[in-house]
Formats: sequence, structure tokens, C-alpha cells
Amino acid sequence: MTTLIEAPPSDADGLLPSKKKSSGGGLGTYILVRFFLILPTMFILVTMVFFLMRVIGDPITAAQGGRLPPDVLAQRIHDAGYDRPIMVQYFEYLGQVATGNFGTTITDRRPVVEMLATFGTATLELAINAVIVALLVGIPLGLLAAHRRDKAADAVLRFFAILCYATPVFFAGLLLKLTFSVWLGWLPVAGRASTRTELAMGALAAPTGVYWLDALRSGNMAALGDVMAHAVLPAVALGLLTAGVFLRLVRTNVIGTLGKDYVEAGRSRGVSEFRLVTKHAYKPALIPIITVMGLQIALLLGGAVLTETTFEWKGLGYQLVQYLNARDFVAVQGIVVLLAVIVAVTNFVVDVVAALIDPRVRY
Amino acid sequence: MAMNKKALQCAIALAGVSALALTACTGPSGGGGGSSAAASGPIAYGTTDKVTALDPAGSYDNGSFMVMNQIYSFLLNSKPGGADPVPDLAESASFTTPTEYTVKLKSGLKWANGHTLDSKDVKFSFDRQMKINDPAGPASLLSNVEGVTAPDANTVVFKLKLANDQTFAQILSSPAAPIVDDEVFPADKLLDDDSIVKAKAFYGQYTIDTYKKNELISFKAYPDYKGLLGKPANDAATIKYYADPTNMKLDIQQGNIDVANRSLSATDIDDLKKDSKVKVNVGPGGEIRYITFNFDTMPFGAKAAGADPAKALAVRQGVANLVDRQAIADQVYKGTYLPLYSNVPSGFLGANESFKDAYGDAGKPSLDKAKKVLADAGVTTPVTLNLQYNPDHYGKSSGDEYAMIKDQLEKSGLFKVNLQSTEWVTYSKASRADEYPLFQFGWFPDFSDADNYLTPFFPDGGFLKNHYNNPTVTDLISKQLTTVDKTERESTIKDAQNALAKDISTLPLLQGAQVAVSGSSVKGVDSTLDASFKFRLGTVSK
Repeated sequence: MTTLIEAPPSDADGLLPSKKKSSGGGLGTYILVRFFLILPTMFILVTMVFFLMRVIGDPITAAQGGRLPPDVLAQRIHDAGYDRPIMVQYFEYLGQVATGNFGTTITDRRPVVEMLATFGTATLELAINAVIVALLVGIPLGLLAAHRRDKAADAVLRFFAILCYATPVFFAGLLLKLTFSVWLGWLPVAGRASTRTELAMGALAAPTGVYWLDALRSGNMAALGDVMAHAVLPAVALGLLTAGVFLRLVRTNVIGTLGKDYVEAGRSRGVSEFRLVTKHAYKPALIPIITVMGLQIALLLGGAVLTETTFEWKGLGYQLVQYLNARDFVAVQGIVVLLAVIVAVTNFVVDVVAALIDPRVRY
Repeated sequence: MAMNKKALQCAIALAGVSALALTACTGPSGGGGGSSAAASGPIAYGTTDKVTALDPAGSYDNGSFMVMNQIYSFLLNSKPGGADPVPDLAESASFTTPTEYTVKLKSGLKWANGHTLDSKDVKFSFDRQMKINDPAGPASLLSNVEGVTAPDANTVVFKLKLANDQTFAQILSSPAAPIVDDEVFPADKLLDDDSIVKAKAFYGQYTIDTYKKNELISFKAYPDYKGLLGKPANDAATIKYYADPTNMKLDIQQGNIDVANRSLSATDIDDLKKDSKVKVNVGPGGEIRYITFNFDTMPFGAKAAGADPAKALAVRQGVANLVDRQAIADQVYKGTYLPLYSNVPSGFLGANESFKDAYGDAGKPSLDKAKKVLADAGVTTPVTLNLQYNPDHYGKSSGDEYAMIKDQLEKSGLFKVNLQSTEWVTYSKASRADEYPLFQFGWFPDFSDADNYLTPFFPDGGFLKNHYNNPTVTDLISKQLTTVDKTERESTIKDAQNALAKDISTLPLLQGAQVAVSGSSVKGVDSTLDASFKFRLGTVSK
């Protein structure tokens, strides 16, 4: 369980009372406990996904159920081993996972690890783009809302934040696509790059899979522009989801900080409100953002599934939907386990950071 | 990590401005070589189909077969515009005895990697297909092959179990029959896509240049190709894969791809017909949709309450008299499907319209006929029908299709229809386990022959397991399969359809059309939309 704390205020004015240093007792134990909590979490998740995927049916029936006589279909299911006792399959799978063998996807016959590496980079790229959008939108608007608190601009921005958070990401994506791609024709409809750029990226000696990075490395500015153009709408659709959270968080923290004694002291000295916000109140308000960014990873990955599908952004989320439709449980298990690892590790890091910042959370 | 905050702020600002500047300079770019591509330049093709595997032994689906048709060859194949198999890698091919089919190969054939292509490769291709017998593969199509021999470098002899199999030439151009390089492919297991691409184990109009599975494939014309299809009309092509047909539709409208094929929705196609920037090409389709009657569990079926074969037949005939196929084709499918009045769709040898002759009023529903057949059999109306359909396997319009069928049947006052739907995996099993008295099903042919709409379906209940068994029909189907004389075979196929229309094991409803949308400057798409159902990128140019 992650504890979200208020950041210590800035001591820019030298007005804060000195604090006793924490002894730091129990930090090692705390970190160890948090680390080992990842394992049962992962185990429960792997188990749940395994059994849920078995409930929705096997891939052979999904692909060939409409063409084969039942006896032939049953034979093929038997040959593939899908009719063995479920617990036998389960323990076999656990054994494979424990040795790092995630198997081969059923529907397109590629090693799961290779598939995760291929599509993981695309999701990573989208997540980075979305975080950039969230920060660029959330922080300045949060500061503005705090600065104009209880005025019309503040009300509008708070409404905007709620709208960002509440609007389903696929709906936002469709609206953006309709407006900027279909009606205005300013931006590409879908995909990560045009065919020409995709081919150029594919021809690189050792591509990272993160297109803008590959385009930069190759010095291909036309490709970089093309990649950026393709990245805008998905990044905005997904980024706005988190931007709303950032906006409200920054606003709340800045307003909270503006009520502190040391800020009041500054105010009484005639320091302007704008300077108070931008120099004194905003820095401490930004620290919780780091914590929240960690907490937002699950939201971001969940949103990525919908965003990638909407924009044909061929990452893990996009593939997850494809594999789910085909009942490819080997692939789905691989993707879900990877996503779970990302979320669990991120939360662990956030917990550790929180414990380092505020010793109180260790007890 | 200590970092100068000002520098960081500057970097972020600079990155943001750069991104905006770059973005502002860049509009959507055209695929496949861009908008300035000259005639016969690269062609960009879009699809929502998926590739399972490039190894012919490991896949049996449209997406994989489409790619295979560009990079592999067959002993026999069909020319664009037709569906009759003619020599491709072969110089000649024919039955030399009733159970021996002998193929003479062209000489001097070379794989793209420089290896020699001869009878050793051919024998190897068929042997491994049967040996691997992959659950997701097409080996079942070779069930009539007893063995393959290669007496010399240019000769291959197929020993068949069933004499004079009239579908065998089609089998040799089917998904079970692409010829592969015996020096690259393993004899007893599948080869992964990347290894195939790396080994350049291609002999077709094209070789694969770049391969990103189910994302993007780029092809280059293979200069040493000597097969049936000849030199492609373009020097290169790409296939772009989509998940959402709407994105594909928008890309064809914006000129980012040159061809969009499989599968746009009926609504999208209808919309595209009004767009002057694109052309909607329609060709014959082999896909059919039909209702299956379970002869045990349908009203008055053999194991239903009040079992009575005459009344059960009257119920089936009543339904056949009331269904308005044209209305479904026009209103639900916007002309992307056509009315189907027989078990064998039009375009195939012997296809007739047996249901149109036997039921309704020249293709229109007939309430009077429906009333009469039910009354004559002493059936009390309304008859309750539990009709199942599947909402996720046969397209999003299935719900509308079956709502319309329910409406057509109920407005007669003769039937009360309980419409039910189930997700595919459960549906496909339950439908053949006597759980559904009437149910929707569809079919896409394995190869282009009328037999493929008969043999899998009707002898001994076929794969549908609906307890239909008429020895007369079975005999007719067996007879047409081995009748060498084409005219006689055609007549037998018609007889089989007429007999089937009397029994109504299944009620044919719709026949799908092939629909490919192309840019207005794109040529050659219509010539590949033929009854072979093979899309050949080599016919397309711009």
C-alpha cells in the first residue's frame, strides 16, 4: 500500500523551523517487506489470468470451430494439450514462468519474449509521449488555477481537469481523430509512422524500436517529423487523462503551500502573488507529482490499451486486444505478466522513494 | 541525480518547440512510395487480415495465404480473372492412371537464394505438409494423397486413394500446396517467419524485403520468376495491417494506401461508393451464410416432442418460403452480400438456384405457400423457433441480419422466433452438440470447386453434425467428385442441389462478394478479384 504524502515545503526564505533528523530505523526492513510483497501479488495475478483465459475458450476452437467436425476439432485440441487437466496445465505454466520461459504465441507463432520486446518499446514510446503531454498541460494549468483560485479561470480549469479525467480515453481519441485527421486533415489517421518511415526505421542496423529516438539517431529529420506527427494525437488522448490529475494535484498543493506561515511572511513583506506562486509555492507542490506519476502508471497502461487500439499504435495494448479476441492465452498471459511487473516495480520504487522522503511511512 | 533545473526547463521547452515545429512541417505521408510514385511504382495494400505463419504447413487462413500467394508458387495455379487451375511451376499435369496424377516441371527454376527448384522440393513440400500435420495447418486437404514420388528432377507423381478425384487440380493450388525450398525448411517441424525471410526461400512474383509481422511487409519483384503470373505490374509492394477497419477506410480515402481489401464493413463500403477519390471493386465471392436445421432437436425433429419428419420438413419449408434474402442483402449488407438460392454459390460448376425454384415466389417470400405447406402437414401455428446466431465471428451485422429474419418470419403469423446469441467459442461447440435447433453458420471455401460446398456438409451429417443423412444425396455427391466428364459432372452437381433443396438440411441465405477499394488512379484490382479468391499484388499498378 503506497502512502501519498505532502511534500515538505521549500525553505527558500529560511523561515522554516529546523527538523530533527530521522534515525532512519527500519528502512531496510521496510524495503525488504515491500519487495517481497511483489511476489505474492504477481503470483495471484498470474494465477487469475491463467484461469480466466481458460474460461473464455481455446484458440483452436476460436480459429477452426466453424470448419471442422467436432471429433476432428477435439483431436486437434487434444494434440495441442488443451484438454489436459487444468491443474496440470497450470503447474506446467508456473514451472515455465519460473524459468523465464513464456512460450510461443499460439496465433502468430512467435516467442512471447520477442513479442514483448517488439511491442513493449512502442508502448514505452507512447507512455513517454503521454507523460510529456500530461506534464506540459497539467503543471502550468495547475499553477494558473492556483494563482487564479476561486475566480472564473480557476473554475474553468477545474472543470477541464474533471473532464480530462472522466472522459473515456477511446472517446477522446476518436474525437481528436475525427477533428484533426478527418475534418481538418492536419494529422495522420493512425499508426506510428507512414509506410515510408516504417521501412526506413526497419532498415536501421540496430533500431531501438522507439521511433523518434531511431529517427534522431539516423539523422533523418523527415522521418522524425513524420513520427512526431503520428505521435501527437495518441499522446494527447492518453496524456490528457493524466493531465487532469496533475492539474488538480498541483493546484491543491500550491494553494496549500500558499497558506503556510513562511509564504504569509513573504506576502507581508510585499512579495507579489505571482512571484510567491512561481518561486516559493510551486517547487514543493511539484514533488508529489513524482509520487503520483508512479501511481499513474497503471492508469497510463490501462489507457494505453484503448489508445493503441484507437490509433493503430502497435504496442502491447493493441496486441493484447488482438490476442484476447483470438483466445491466445499464451500471449495474453505474457503481456499481462509484463504489465503487472511494470506496475508492481513502479509501486515498489514509489514506496521506497516515499519512505526516503518521509520516515513516518515506514512505521 | 543532480541536475541544473534551468537547463532541464530549457531542454523541455526546446523539445516541445522542436516537436511542434517538426509536426507543423509534416502532413500525413502517403504510403508505398508517396504520392509522386510513377506508374508501376510501389503499391500499398491494406488489410485487417492477420498472418499466422509464412510456413505453408503452419497456417490455414486468408491472411497467411494472401502473403504466400505473392512469394511461393504452386504446381498449378489460376490466371487472374479465372479460377481454373493451369500449369504454374508445372509444364503439364494430368491423370496418367485413375489413381496417379503426374506433373512435369519446368526446368531451370531457381529460388531467390540461388538454390535449385526441382521435383525434390515438390516431393519434400507435400511430404512435410502431411508429416507435420499441424493442428492449425491445411494438411487435411491432402487426405486423398497416398504418397508422392519424384522419379526424376522434372517429374512428380501423386498416388491417390480415391480414383479420378476431380478436385485434385484445385488442391494443388490450395493453401496445402505452396512449394517450399527443401534446403531451408525442416522436414518435420515448422520454420519461423524470420528464418524464412532471412533464407530468402521464395519463388514467386515477389521476395520479401522487410518483414514486421502483422505490421508491415514490403515486397520486391523477383526478376528470375518464370511462373504463370509473369512479371508483376509494379516493381514493389507493401502490405499494411490494421486492427480497425475504420482506420483502413480513412487511409484509403486519404491516399495513404492504394488498395483496401478484407475487411471493410458494409456501411464503410456504402460510404466509399459515394467518394469520388476511390473506386469500389466488386468480384465474385465464395463465402456463404446459411441457417442449419438440427434434424433431431428442431420442432418435430427426431428427438423433439411430437417427433414427425413430415411436420419437421413442413417447418423447414415454411421458413424457406418466408425468408426475403434480397431485403437482407440490400438493407443489412448494402450489396456486399448477394442473395443465395442454392447450396453451391453462383460462379461454380453446376451452380443453380434450386431454392428459388422450389420456394417463395421467384425469389420473393410467399406467405400463401408457407401457410399451405404448414397446413397440409397439420402443423399448428405459430411454431416456436429457437434460432441462434453468433455476434462476434461472422461480422458485426449478424445481429441486424437475424433481427430481420426474425421479423420476416414473425410478421407472417406462422412463427414465433426466440432469437439468441452466444460468443463464438461456446457457439461453435454447442451448435454441433445438439444444443441449438436452428443456428447460423458460414463457410469460406478451401478451394474453388463446387464439391467444397457439398462433401464437407452433407454426407452423414457432414461437419455440421445436424443428423441429416440422405443416401441419395450422398451418392450424388460421391459421383460428382469422381466424374471425369465435365458436362456429366455439372449435371450431377445440379441434381445434388435439387435434392438438397427438397430436404433443406441447410437454408442458404447469402453469398459474399469480394470487395476491394482502390485509389482512383490504381489499376488492375478488378482483374484479381476472381473466383480463385487469390489477391495478386502483381496485377495492381498506378
